[in-house]
Amino acid sequence: MAYQTPAVVMDNGTGYSKLGFAGNDSPSFVFPTAIATKGPAGGAGGSGSGRPAVAQKPSYLTGGAGPAGHLSAKRGTEDLDYFIGDEAIAMGSGPGYGIHYPIRHGQIDNWDHMERFWQNSIFKYLRVEPEDHYFLLTEPPLNPPEARENTAEIMFESFNCAGLYIAVQAVLALAASWTSSKVQDRSLTGTVIDSGDGVTHVIPVAEGYVVGSSIKSIPIAGRDITYFVQSLLRDRNEPDSSLKTAESIKEEFCYVCPDIVKEFTRFDKDPERFQKYVVDQGAGKKVTVDVGYERFLAPEIFFNPEIYSSDFLTPLPVVVDNVIQSAPIDVRRGLYKNIVLSGGSTLYKDFGRRLQRDIRHLVDARIKRSEQKSGAKSGGLEVHVITHKRQRHGPWFGGSLLGQTPEFRSYCHTKAEYDEIGPSIVRRFALLGGPA
Amino acid sequence: MPAYHSAFLEDTDVRIIGNFALLPLRTKTRGPAYTLPSLPAGVAELDLDPDHESYDILDETLTLFRANTLFRNFEIKGPADRVLIYGILWISDCLSRLKPTMTLREAEKAITTAALEQYALPGDPSFPLNALYQGPRDRGEAELLRGYIGQMRQELGSRLLTRIYADGTGKPSKWWLSFTKRRFMGMSL
Repeated sequence: MAYQTPAVVMDNGTGYSKLGFAGNDSPSFVFPTAIATKGPAGGAGGSGSGRPAVAQKPSYLTGGAGPAGHLSAKRGTEDLDYFIGDEAIAMGSGPGYGIHYPIRHGQIDNWDHMERFWQNSIFKYLRVEPEDHYFLLTEPPLNPPEARENTAEIMFESFNCAGLYIAVQAVLALAASWTSSKVQDRSLTGTVIDSGDGVTHVIPVAEGYVVGSSIKSIPIAGRDITYFVQSLLRDRNEPDSSLKTAESIKEEFCYVCPDIVKEFTRFDKDPERFQKYVVDQGAGKKVTVDVGYERFLAPEIFFNPEIYSSDFLTPLPVVVDNVIQSAPIDVRRGLYKNIVLSGGSTLYKDFGRRLQRDIRHLVDARIKRSEQKSGAKSGGLEVHVITHKRQRHGPWFGGSLLGQTPEFRSYCHTKAEYDEIGPSIVRRFALLGGPA
Repeated sequence: MPAYHSAFLEDTDVRIIGNFALLPLRTKTRGPAYTLPSLPAGVAELDLDPDHESYDILDETLTLFRANTLFRNFEIKGPADRVLIYGILWISDCLSRLKPTMTLREAEKAITTAALEQYALPGDPSFPLNALYQGPRDRGEAELLRGYIGQMRQELGSRLLTRIYADGTGKPSKWWLSFTKRRFMGMSL
């Protein structure tokens, strides 16, 4: 077989973008999906925090930077003056540049910014010639077909890429779990629990297709855990309770416990469980923060949202159970058997084990009830939560896995096909990794 | 998984006033409660097994306090749960009277004074949980209840202090004091 250039895999999420080449173990670049352009932030791009954009000042007040907005008026060199990723964050905190987040709630919100984001991703970071590579992009479940068409237009017409495949993130996350030894059959049926920074999704996938009507999302994710850690630090008047400290404590010390009352008692009996975290506040100033109950209380908000929020009270295991119960009856068994974790907020130790136990309790209770009512004996139901090593960048890794298969290229739409049929060609893709 | 309930809900052969159970206590303060044998030598309070004959509702209250104060909703399943709620709210009340700099001696004084203060009984107009508790039927019952709650307050206060000052630094544990601002069921005594 002639040498083929590896496919480029790009997973652009609301928070972070993961870029790399198919066949690799991990993405080559992971940076915030942010772009810093000349002029103040705001406008349609908005700031990621969901706050309304600050009213724009007239140009004579902004020091000549001029208001953003009418880009058409200044298609000049300013257009090339921008940064993406970590550089964007650094530049945006200084004067002259404003930060924009082109993806909101998983969907592309500002196409102009996204095009420029991709341009820098490809030429400045990955340093590839798009004509020589096939591209694998990802999209959220229920992405409108128009968004796909726009993506194809940019990829084929602006970048002239050789071929394109757009896959649903949840399906790729399922594929990523194939690396786990617990997965016996490589099926594309399963429930994906995708928890990132802003929101947690529970997505049932049946034979490679997302069951759109059953998707549920939970407004509790990584950021909420950070806020909760912060509030616990503040309750104790720790010397440093910044968000950054809370985030590091969350990532370094937190784990999921089987039972909070028993865990409190374990802390009483074994003071070794209390730990210390040293914060470098800059300028040589160091303070020590004690780390205690937040170690197990923080991830507990998935299982007992009541301790954190007053308006969302349904525990994650109950949501998962409801999602599967609302899916078509003939796939439910497969959905319970293959519950796959994906995203940074599922990485806590024993997260999968606790989830599996809680879901199993719900299922067993229901089976028992129906056995009592009907008098018949049930054959039981398998509940498996798959924890694997590629959870953090699950969708990217799944893309890398599928993008390296020899048949990947035959699933893509090529530039020639696009030129012949037009953007509508990307409304349909053959199912990658499914039964041939 | 909602907040934790009392394991003493199963004990049905206890005297009940209104809908508040007079469960046996392990205490040396005088009062109407049935007294459980004190701890055998060599057994620490923390290691006490829930099935042990000396284990009482106050041990349970101290164990469940930190978990339950995080919750805002609680479904009362019986008279023992009401004892638990009163105990938890009383612990919150004690914590709010402590200051991070207090020595054990000062704290003991503050808590003992607080425990002996005039306190409202279920059914009194000033009792904050009247929606959940029934008052005693007559004056005799009221006296009994007052005596029992008084015992609870004193014993729970002193046991709480042993836990808070357990680390031997002479200062109250910051881990316990951090629960001062939280309010179980959004209520306080």
